[in-house]
Amino acid sequence: MSAALSVNPFLRLWSGYLRLVARRPALGQILPFVPLVALWAGVVEAGLFPRAFFPGPVDVVRSFVDLTWKGILPAYLEDSVVRLAVGAAAGILTGIPLGLLVGLNATAHRALWPILLFFQAIGDIAWLPLLIIWFGFGLETMTFVIVYTVLFPIVLNTVLGVRSIPLDMHRAAQSLGAPKWRIVAEVVIPGALPNIITGLRNGLGYGWRALIAAEMIVGTSGVGFMMFDARRAGSVVEILLGMIILGLLWYAVDALILAPLERATGRRWGLVAQ
Amino acid sequence: MKSLSIRNLSKTYFDPYAGKHVTAVQDVSIEVPEGEFVSIVGPSGCGKTTILNMVAGFLPVSGGEIVVDGRAVSGPGPDRGVVFQSHALFPWKTVLENVAFGPKMRGVGPKEREAIARDYLALAGLSHAADRYPNELSGGMQQRVGVVRALANEPAVLLMDEPFASVDAQTRMTLQEELTRIWQERRPTIIFITHDVPEAVFLANRVVVLSKGRVLEEVEIDLPRPRSWETLIEDERFKTLSSRVLQLVRSA
Amino acid sequence: MSAVGNIGAGRSAASERVRAAFSFLLPLFVLLVVWEATVRIFDVHPGIFPGVGPVLRAGAESVANGTLFLHIAASFGRVLTGTTLAILVGVPLGILMGVSPGVSTVLTPLFRFFSVLAGIAWIPIATLWFGYGFGAITFVIFNAVFFVVAYNTLLGVSGIPHALRNAAWSLGADRKTMLFEVLLPGALPNIVTGIRTGLGFAWRGLIAAEMIATNMGLGYMLFLARDFYRTELIVFGMVVIGILWLLIDRLILAPLERRTIERWGLVR
Ligand SMILES: Nc1ncnc2c1ncn2[C@@H]1O[C@H](COP(=O)(O)OP(=O)(O)O)[C@@H](O)[C@H]1O
Ligand SMILES: [Mg+2]
Repeated sequence: MSAALSVNPFLRLWSGYLRLVARRPALGQILPFVPLVALWAGVVEAGLFPRAFFPGPVDVVRSFVDLTWKGILPAYLEDSVVRLAVGAAAGILTGIPLGLLVGLNATAHRALWPILLFFQAIGDIAWLPLLIIWFGFGLETMTFVIVYTVLFPIVLNTVLGVRSIPLDMHRAAQSLGAPKWRIVAEVVIPGALPNIITGLRNGLGYGWRALIAAEMIVGTSGVGFMMFDARRAGSVVEILLGMIILGLLWYAVDALILAPLERATGRRWGLVAQ
Repeated sequence: MKSLSIRNLSKTYFDPYAGKHVTAVQDVSIEVPEGEFVSIVGPSGCGKTTILNMVAGFLPVSGGEIVVDGRAVSGPGPDRGVVFQSHALFPWKTVLENVAFGPKMRGVGPKEREAIARDYLALAGLSHAADRYPNELSGGMQQRVGVVRALANEPAVLLMDEPFASVDAQTRMTLQEELTRIWQERRPTIIFITHDVPEAVFLANRVVVLSKGRVLEEVEIDLPRPRSWETLIEDERFKTLSSRVLQLVRSA
Repeated sequence: MSAVGNIGAGRSAASERVRAAFSFLLPLFVLLVVWEATVRIFDVHPGIFPGVGPVLRAGAESVANGTLFLHIAASFGRVLTGTTLAILVGVPLGILMGVSPGVSTVLTPLFRFFSVLAGIAWIPIATLWFGYGFGAITFVIFNAVFFVVAYNTLLGVSGIPHALRNAAWSLGADRKTMLFEVLLPGALPNIVTGIRTGLGFAWRGLIAAEMIATNMGLGYMLFLARDFYRTELIVFGMVVIGILWLLIDRLILAPLERRTIERWGLVR
């Protein structure tokens, strides 16, 4: 009881932090990185490892400024982002209709489902050798890989979404006089939307890993290429910079695209918990 | 609103586990004249849902026919509005959009269908909830919207399958009273399915007791309207009718 | 639920399974036929895309001279080592972090960041730190699984209702019982989901890393075949990779996930 009178300063700081974070959740996502970066800087300054082998945050920032100044980083970043965006758009535009077909039509489902599962299992990256033979080390190869990667999670999740719509929903629409195509537009697509967005999230998660791998293996530009090129030159700083940028890029995709979509659909409609 | 006749209806399912056909509904005939409120009661598994699903056109019939408004039905259609136990509201549409859905399918323009929807929402005292999503409503309100959505499409008959079975007891009584009030105002033709005897008696002009897929007996409910639980709960006539129906159901 | 339906259905359940397997394989067989027919009708150059025959022959050859098994063994060795290590470190760490709400408040964002990066993005630095070979690739697999598993364990533990923990305390549970009877089982569905997701990343990371940084393994097999324009060996390798992943996912991961999640009714 008397402890309330003399709370130790560390605990007071701690509870202050918890209250701050409760009030501003965004800060809670950022502040934990401060001690991590400090620790990183500390280890580097202590000189435990050779600096070229394990550079510090200041070095990374310097290389960021340097590469941005030279225009290399913005150009590479743009290449990667455009590839991902084009691939994702193509994956969405083919994946959703295909998913609707497989989800709605029993015959299509019987015929295509095993094939979809199999091609998904092969995985994007295993296609690279064949693609390189077909298209060489170029844009087609990379685009194919990304579309392939984004496509399957979207198709499979769209199918799941379509099939998870309760039968009563279809029946309600039918007995309110909706013809088939309107049921697809008014019931099936919105009903499957939360799953489609989950598919998009998974697809982008896999897709942009595939992009990095493809840029490393076949690339002539892009963040993945930058990292692998840096590896060849033994420049750890640029590798670390690339990793941090990739992480931040995902945060941007999540915060600007995925999270708002999820909030506007499944969450609002009570179809998704949380 | 128009009449409905169910003539010699039967349904056999194939049971894949037993490897044989099972008869769920056998030679059922029910006449529902225009503007009448008919309840169908019976113990669980006696074929109530099967009958309703055939009338709604969700299930093919094995024998007999269903005639609505002088025409034999095949498949679902807007002439038969359905209220589901699971409410089956579209979660991605607001209450207003849900209620306006039927008129929209009929090709009614945006302004006009909104007016229709608001009119029907007012009928059920739901005007304040027009812009909410179904998951933001209580169970009782969801069922009200379900009823109103079916009504707003102005069907020839309204089919209701245990719509109040999963709301709490107090709300259920309110919903029943509201439904009788709406029926008196608009006089839709209604088939109401339930396993709850007092509910069936309270609501209907006539109760059809079902047993093992057959009609056991029909009981006329000549209680005066408007009906409210406060008066009927002590009413001798209501008690007699209820216990008579209950006996029939239990003998089923 | 299904127990009722299954009474007296033992025989038909077995034949049902055969039918299901058949209807699953039929489309794949049709695909095989279409593939062969396409190659023949359009007279596709084998350097562009091989027919079924050459692929089977390349497969038989690689089985006969033992290289296929060497590559598979190398890949599996890496996956097994990396995954086991990741689970052994990730699960206890995840539980430790998840027990205290304060600690998890601080660490969740960090682990989220690293699980976003997990896998392929580590290939360059891993190959610098460990050199080309077993070490680098196992490291990539390790961290693909580790961060995802630790993050999911953390989510799982911090998601266990407080009432459950209090109930266990009030029933006289000590720390050990608490760990093994409450925290671990409570977080298990999340852990298993984490392993499944992590392995998905790890498997792709493996193939990518083997193309870049080794002289053994399935990814290397494909990339080597590319050097000689041996498309039939590439296609064979792709089929092997697909089948292996389907087997891992359908026979081990999916049933594991289903059992933990569905058995306990912890549906999410
Ligand atoms: N799809 C079906 N397949 C086989 N039997 C069914 C099916 N649906 C209902 N039945 C059987 O038909 C009978 C009547 O069911 P139902 O109409 O749902 O009854 P109620 O709605 O009165 O409870 C039950 O014995 C039930 O087991
Ligand atoms: Mg029923």
